[in-house]
Amino acid sequence: MLWLWGLTVRINFKLLLSGVLLTLSQSAFAQFNIFACEPEYAALAKELAPDARIYSATTAMQDPHQVQARPSLIAKMRQADLVICAGAELEIGWLPMLQMKAANAQVRSTDKGLFFAAEHIDTLDKLANVDRSMGDVHSQGNPHLHFSPQRMLAIAKALTEKLIQLDGENSNRYQQQFETFSHRWQTATLKWQKIASSLKGMKVIAYHSSFRYLFDFAGIEQVADLEPKPGLPPTSGHLAGLLKQAKKDDVTAIVIASYQDQRGANWLAEKSNLPVMILPLSVGGNEQSSDLFSLFDNVLNLLSQTYQAQKSQIL
Amino acid sequence: MKNLKFSPARLSAKVSAALVVTALVPVIVQAQTPTLSNPTVSAILDGYYQSDDRLMAERAKGFGLGETELAFSASIDDMFYGKLTTVFESHDGESEVNVEEAFIQTMALPNGFTVRAGRFLSDVGYLNNQHLHTDSFTSRPSAYRAFLGNHYYDDGLRVSYIAPTDLYWAIGAEAFSGDSLRAADEHGEREFDSTGVYTAFTKLGGDIGAESSWQLGFSYLRNENGQSTPEEHDEDEHHEEEEHAEDEHGHSHSASYTGKNTYVADFVFKWAPNGNYKYQHLTLSAEYFRVNDFMAAELHDEHEEEDHHDEEEHHDEGGKDYHQAWYVSGVYQFSPNWSAGLRYGELDAQLQHEEHFDAQELKETELSIAWHNSHFSTVRLEFSHQNNTGFENAEKDNVITLQYVMALGAHGAHQF
Repeated sequence: MLWLWGLTVRINFKLLLSGVLLTLSQSAFAQFNIFACEPEYAALAKELAPDARIYSATTAMQDPHQVQARPSLIAKMRQADLVICAGAELEIGWLPMLQMKAANAQVRSTDKGLFFAAEHIDTLDKLANVDRSMGDVHSQGNPHLHFSPQRMLAIAKALTEKLIQLDGENSNRYQQQFETFSHRWQTATLKWQKIASSLKGMKVIAYHSSFRYLFDFAGIEQVADLEPKPGLPPTSGHLAGLLKQAKKDDVTAIVIASYQDQRGANWLAEKSNLPVMILPLSVGGNEQSSDLFSLFDNVLNLLSQTYQAQKSQIL
Repeated sequence: MKNLKFSPARLSAKVSAALVVTALVPVIVQAQTPTLSNPTVSAILDGYYQSDDRLMAERAKGFGLGETELAFSASIDDMFYGKLTTVFESHDGESEVNVEEAFIQTMALPNGFTVRAGRFLSDVGYLNNQHLHTDSFTSRPSAYRAFLGNHYYDDGLRVSYIAPTDLYWAIGAEAFSGDSLRAADEHGEREFDSTGVYTAFTKLGGDIGAESSWQLGFSYLRNENGQSTPEEHDEDEHHEEEEHAEDEHGHSHSASYTGKNTYVADFVFKWAPNGNYKYQHLTLSAEYFRVNDFMAAELHDEHEEEDHHDEEEHHDEGGKDYHQAWYVSGVYQFSPNWSAGLRYGELDAQLQHEEHFDAQELKETELSIAWHNSHFSTVRLEFSHQNNTGFENAEKDNVITLQYVMALGAHGAHQF
């Protein structure tokens, strides 16, 4: 009896397997599928491959470090021809699980359909030695690199090469898209540099190192962090320490990203009379930031307005 | 008992703990990008104090170590991924070293297929494929303790497939040796099938807007060795066995109740404001287990059979011919530092006792409060209240457990 049952299981399984294989070989993907880990890379993909089906795993309202390897993401990655992520270990808590569960060999290796932006540029704040007592830090440098116009251009170029590698039939189209983007981006960068030069010397207290590259670009100094250590939420003791610093230094504002908790910032703002600025972390972080261009426009304008307001107060 | 122990390690708890620590330190420092020469290394430290014993639970009264694990994993090449998880457990001053996972998995099969071979956690139900240290409660629900020996890992093979659809849809089948799910065999005379357990499962899932996600699963477990069979009895031997069973109380990995056919349905729902899991999030889950056909047909007339064995069960003509268990659980993270969970579960099983058959019932309510200093360290206080009828060992109604769970080394990517 038992061996008979075992036999039927084996036969049924073979039938099932061949049936599934048959249905699959008939289905071909009509559209090039792009899975972006963060909305900034979904936005970049939209500039470079507007005909592709693009899906962003996270929004600007979500912490990209802490994402659930949830069923919908596995299903999307299963279908992806290209996966674009920041890299530098930003997604280490969830991307490996998605890759494992999605069983899509195409997007497992950077030789094929996996693209890590951080591999194509120089990251800031690389660390030789990483220890958990330092908090949730990344030895490969700061992964929130999309606020650097120069780096984004280099990433766009590398991404175009990747698109051509994977979808050679449309290589002319990708090349054209990149040239258009590159031209627009460089023109916009000149404009952004002008605004950035007026921000030089501005001092802020910020939450995490989310805007490290933006501050680097604009010459803004982050004098303190609301987080006692990267990844750890603000504590009352730490905030009290920041209050002294906020009063001492000529700090302009407390800057937090769209997904970050406002309570610590609000407490500090109330005590120190500093304004709280909620900057969009990425595309979709506020109403104005609908693509990469408007994201940069918006963030720089917000900073500029606050800085000018503070300056005029002093005068 | 389980054949998994490669325990020359009747070492003292202290010795093995020291060995682990010394072995770990040099490896962790260099653990960065997982490659073969530099694999992902992670260790979990789990220790606790529990005010009393709990039925079928792994944790025993007093101070103890829970699942203290050391795991290595890496891509072996472009085709294979491998993982080894060893678990150190300490009970009554004795240490056990178990290999909980030692598997290879294909990484490059076409069309969404994956094959996993070796020793691994079965994918039946929701919790079973999750490691114990990711749980929000100190013990698994009674359904897992009763029917799967806490969590079911075994030597076998899995083939799974994920469909190329926007709705997550995965199916899979497994075959296992099934040693830990064998029906009790007091005399060691029964000829068990060497491949005893077959499973089939399917999971569906998706998002509801940007804030909510869900997963629904159905599993079937066929256990060729799960049914009790009629046997001659030798009272002396029987008593020895009973003592042995007592001895193993509190940390047996074997299922307490087995049957031929087990059906599981599970559902999980998660929510976070804006879908941002950093600050607040809610997890609701529920599972239902039903174990059918726990007694071979020829046993129906074997009323003269006497069996005191705690882990042996037969049913009466008039009694229920199935076991079942279910639980519902809700866990809410208030802030990155604090979370709380509430779980309620029931177990309804049948146990032969002397010449009649008793229904056993266990109702448990657990309230757990956890403090997380970071993503990697948790201290948990749990109150559990239980109500049972039909169990021989009357346990205290209320149990308090204080537990820490901490992760060293690589970031472990968690499952949904």
